[in-house]
Amino acid sequence: MSNGPKVVGFVCDWSVDLVPLMEGGRLREMPSVRIIRVPCSGFVRPSWLEDALGRGADGVFVTGCPYGDCLNREGNYLMRDRVDQLQRRLQRRRVDPARLGMLAYGLHDGPAFLAAVRAFVEGIRALPAPAPPRSAPAAPAPAAAERETP
Amino acid sequence: MSTGAGIAPSPPRSRYGRFMTGVLRGTLKLDVWINKVYPADYNPLYYTGGLSNLFLFILVLSGIFLFFYYEASLVEGFASVQYITLGVPYGGLIRGVHRYAADGFIVAVLLHLFRNWFTDRYLFSRDNPWISGMFLLIFGGFVGFTGYQLVWDERAQVLTAMFVGMLRSLPLIGDWLARVFIGGAGVSDGTLVRALFLHIGPASALYVMLWWHYLRLRHPKIWPPATWVLASVGLVFLLAGVIPATSGQPAAPAGRPASFPMDIFFLIPFWLLNYMSPFAVMVLLGALFTLGFAIPYIARREAPQEMSVRHAGVAQVIDGNCTGCELCFFDCPYNAIAMVPSPAPGLSRAAANRTWLAVVIESRCVECGICIGACPFEALELPKFLERDVQAQVLEAVRA
Repeated sequence: MSNGPKVVGFVCDWSVDLVPLMEGGRLREMPSVRIIRVPCSGFVRPSWLEDALGRGADGVFVTGCPYGDCLNREGNYLMRDRVDQLQRRLQRRRVDPARLGMLAYGLHDGPAFLAAVRAFVEGIRALPAPAPPRSAPAAPAPAAAERETP
Repeated sequence: MSTGAGIAPSPPRSRYGRFMTGVLRGTLKLDVWINKVYPADYNPLYYTGGLSNLFLFILVLSGIFLFFYYEASLVEGFASVQYITLGVPYGGLIRGVHRYAADGFIVAVLLHLFRNWFTDRYLFSRDNPWISGMFLLIFGGFVGFTGYQLVWDERAQVLTAMFVGMLRSLPLIGDWLARVFIGGAGVSDGTLVRALFLHIGPASALYVMLWWHYLRLRHPKIWPPATWVLASVGLVFLLAGVIPATSGQPAAPAGRPASFPMDIFFLIPFWLLNYMSPFAVMVLLGALFTLGFAIPYIARREAPQEMSVRHAGVAQVIDGNCTGCELCFFDCPYNAIAMVPSPAPGLSRAAANRTWLAVVIESRCVECGICIGACPFEALELPKFLERDVQAQVLEAVRA
């Protein structure tokens, strides 16, 4: 599994209980998946997802609480909308929207969360060719990102 | 700030913290089960606040109907309620709806209270909805009690005597309070006039407190989904039809019944009088509500340093980057961002060309970071979890 697609997951600190699933910042069952804990799924800025893909990640996903039960009331709905928008933008740039995912799982949904991540990773593995890096990995262009945003 | 993703938060050390963590896990476990029956969008526990509001609305509508027929006097009080029940077309049904919607209201309110307590939804500046919620609970409970008084049957009479006894048990102000409550030295026509006012006045005040309750929420969920509205309205009508609300024997000046039908939702303090002195019950009630008000301040499930990324500081606006686009203003779930006229001439090109500047109202911020996600111009940061920290973790992930 360790040579699987590089995946970055932004996971809300309140949603899935990651303590039993993680080791050294990565999922124990899928070490190619790096987890970044965030205070709320709504904290994630879509340009970070775009950046991660541009710098060579094969896939990015965001995990929030179950819809309707966001600790901060609306974070996961807002993030779902932002992910939808970003998927449309990526599609226009010929990046497969399957590389971007939005999940929603609660504290006790560890197994379901793992299954969803596994499906996400398998989906990426099945994609034809890796997207060519948009820019040099060392120098992301924030100015360019700024112009693209609505 | 320990943003290293590999760090497992240590389990809470205090006993209260461990207990509340257990309760939290239990609450969310219950959700897992309910979500298996209903899709998450329809989980009734996600709409306890909306359900309370719905029952309150039913109470207002049915209460207006009852008000047309009610006469507040010792002679007419009981008779007019009997007339509503037996004489007015559908009057008995409306009375039953009023009765059962009140029970539904208090159940929904208590579920709302415990759910938000157990899931930490009162932390940081969310203490404001908590405090207004405690006021709503006190006023709501009192309105329920005066509603039982208005029927003026034997139970109402005993309840009034018990409540007067509880008031009189208070030192110094007790006698005065009792006199104010019953409108004179003894029960008279004025007592029921006061009861009617003390039923309708605090009930109207509930809406003022609801304004306070919603003040810091953007898009508050004030109604449950349509299916639950229909189910709740149907349930109160069904109960009102199957188990009609009835009065006991009319109140008699010398009557002293030994027992009366109990309402477990509103009348628990009076049930306690079987076992405790009136003063002890008053002290207990006072202590309970004082504790209720103090919950956001006295103890926390987690110490601040245990909260990891969820306690990353109040969001800060970076003046030079803000374009005044209002996206954070629209997305903040707590109305914690205000748009103010941009001060001229501004620090940067973006600042020179904007009309508005976003300002975080720090007393309302709960440190969730939703505004950071909303901002495409890098003009907002959580002080202890910067964009730089996130980017470092992303880089580490893609390099390995």
